[in-house]
Amino acid sequence: MTAQANTSIARRAGAIIMAPVALLARAFDPPLRMLQKFGGTNVMAAFFLAPNMLIFGVFVLFPLAVNIAYSMTGGNALFLTNREFVGLDQYERLFDCGNYLDRQTCREDLFWTAVWNTSSFVVLQVSLMVGVALVTALVLNRDLKARSFWRAVFFFPVLLSPVVVGLIWRWILQRQGLLNFGLYELGFEPVNWLVERNWAFAAAVGVSVWAHVGFYALILLAGLQAIPKELYEAAEMDGTKPGRVFWRITLPLLMPNLLVVLVLTLIRAVQIFDEVYVLTGGGPGTSTLFLTQYIYEVGFASHLRNPGLASAASILMGLVLIVLTLFQLGIVRRNDRRGGK
Amino acid sequence: MSRITLTGVSRSFGQVQVLHDIDLDIRDGELVVFVGPSGCGKSTLLRLIAGLDRPTKGTIAINDEDVTRVAAADRGLAMVFQSYALYPHMSVRQNLAFGLENARMPRAEIDQRIAEAARMLEIAPYLDRRPGQLSGGQRQRVAIGRAIVRNPTAFLLDEPLSNLDAELRISTRAELAALHERLSATMIYVTHDQTEAMTLADRIVVLRAGRIEQVGTPLELYNRPANLFVAGFIGAPRMNFLPAEIGGTKDGRTRLDLEGAGSLEVEAVAASPGDEVTLGLRPHQLRLVDGGEGMAAEVSLVEALGSETVVHTRMEGGESLLAVLSGQHQVEAGETVRFSLDSTDLHLFDSDGVRLQPAAN
Repeated sequence: MTAQANTSIARRAGAIIMAPVALLARAFDPPLRMLQKFGGTNVMAAFFLAPNMLIFGVFVLFPLAVNIAYSMTGGNALFLTNREFVGLDQYERLFDCGNYLDRQTCREDLFWTAVWNTSSFVVLQVSLMVGVALVTALVLNRDLKARSFWRAVFFFPVLLSPVVVGLIWRWILQRQGLLNFGLYELGFEPVNWLVERNWAFAAAVGVSVWAHVGFYALILLAGLQAIPKELYEAAEMDGTKPGRVFWRITLPLLMPNLLVVLVLTLIRAVQIFDEVYVLTGGGPGTSTLFLTQYIYEVGFASHLRNPGLASAASILMGLVLIVLTLFQLGIVRRNDRRGGK
Repeated sequence: MSRITLTGVSRSFGQVQVLHDIDLDIRDGELVVFVGPSGCGKSTLLRLIAGLDRPTKGTIAINDEDVTRVAAADRGLAMVFQSYALYPHMSVRQNLAFGLENARMPRAEIDQRIAEAARMLEIAPYLDRRPGQLSGGQRQRVAIGRAIVRNPTAFLLDEPLSNLDAELRISTRAELAALHERLSATMIYVTHDQTEAMTLADRIVVLRAGRIEQVGTPLELYNRPANLFVAGFIGAPRMNFLPAEIGGTKDGRTRLDLEGAGSLEVEAVAASPGDEVTLGLRPHQLRLVDGGEGMAAEVSLVEALGSETVVHTRMEGGESLLAVLSGQHQVEAGETVRFSLDSTDLHLFDSDGVRLQPAAN
């Protein structure tokens, strides 16, 4: 078939698909013109924004308000109207500690365990994530054979659902899993990866890095490719050693992308839940219990569920995320200003 | 002192050969311009000399020392890139110092070299600014400054004026020529602009499709182009080409029969009667004549520039003919005019496009 015939078919198909849209547009045309005539551009803007604002209001703002309200109530009743107003008692309960350095002395020691685990996770996972993403991006930016294939390989895990990620790694890491089978075949003793506390925590960090590193590597790769090739050639003419090229040219020019990756990773690490929940269930014991899982279990899963306490914990976590998001916005705006110069 | 010699240099990218057996000798202190249309291989050739790329075949020597496999940094050359390639996150001072710091030069000497280059290029007030805060012309000077501070054996300049506006390009061109005079350094300059080549070069290398078409001084190339390509490329506006046939040679003169434009006699050339040739004549070599003599052509467009008048015409046979007439002339589109020409100014090329040599006596 000729290219001309293909174009003709494509045009006809486009016309058929667009016909109902055109009809709809024609039907809405007179009332919209009236609205613009009598209401002006502000009313028109509000009209077009209304559907999104409605969805945002119903699914974000309203639950947020309800959550704040729940955090100021007590008891086990599910409906807000049946719950007793307790003011800031739930927050007080969360912060009620004999000694903040010893979480055993806290009334909600599980909350502080989750805070401690999440903080450790954030520090380890973010450093590892940024480091691995940077190395991956640097490698993928080289003139590799089958470069597109390798890029796809690193990005592929990002497309998997977190539950699938958790299940895959549970099959690999469990007592009779693939990894231990391999170790056994090589003559090593099997390791209880998901039963031993430190290994389980390391597995949580490693699996979450594996699942998301492709996305961050892609951001850094875009940054690396935006650095003009001539700068490296100028450095080559100047006799710059590879290490100095990295520290003095690549890293400073990649810094805007690195900062974005750092803050995005931070925000996502604080919210870690699904893949680790499927992988370890928070165990062994509470060694991989993170803040989101704590909130979920206190609010919905435990026998003595306490929606008020869970809401208070989620509001505190939300505040941390707001701070991190504002930090990210600040960085993005600063980069925009610099880019505009 | 720096003499650069290329011997049989070729470069292929996969199946595509972009440079074919280039032989060239660049003398010490010479400003050589590589000129040619886009894709002719001039930048590739410069990169090979710089050491940023390796030839597939052939050798490159600097001062008779083979540097074909020597790293770019060890060739003692400095390059000014088309995009300037200044490090955007460093100040002008840091940009100038970067290469010297790599060589672990003492701080005092670095500062002295920067001060000297800054004075020479008048960039001292901008030393603490970043490249993003400079104009195109200032950035260009910094890029040249970065090359100067290294005190290289030769400068390689890859279309350094192409990002400047027309006015700035002319003034910077003059500054570059003055800089070459002052430094007496070997410079290789790449451009696609024949005017830049004509005004700057000691010698011009005309490249086409990866081959050297001609090497010579600007006037050699202008007065005696080796082939049709060089004749058409060098000189602005470009040379007119008219098909002609050799009528015969008698008494040291060859008669040329022009299609639809009569005949004329030129100094005898090495060609046989009946040979098809191309006559080349510069637009500036045509003169308007009154009466029934000369080549007739119909005017299609007149550009009155004040000091000169550019007349676009079409001859009876359909060939276009451009004339640049000195002064102002009352000529209008649609009018038929006649041109005379001095037969000593003509260029003749054979059917392969090669310049016809004078006939042996």
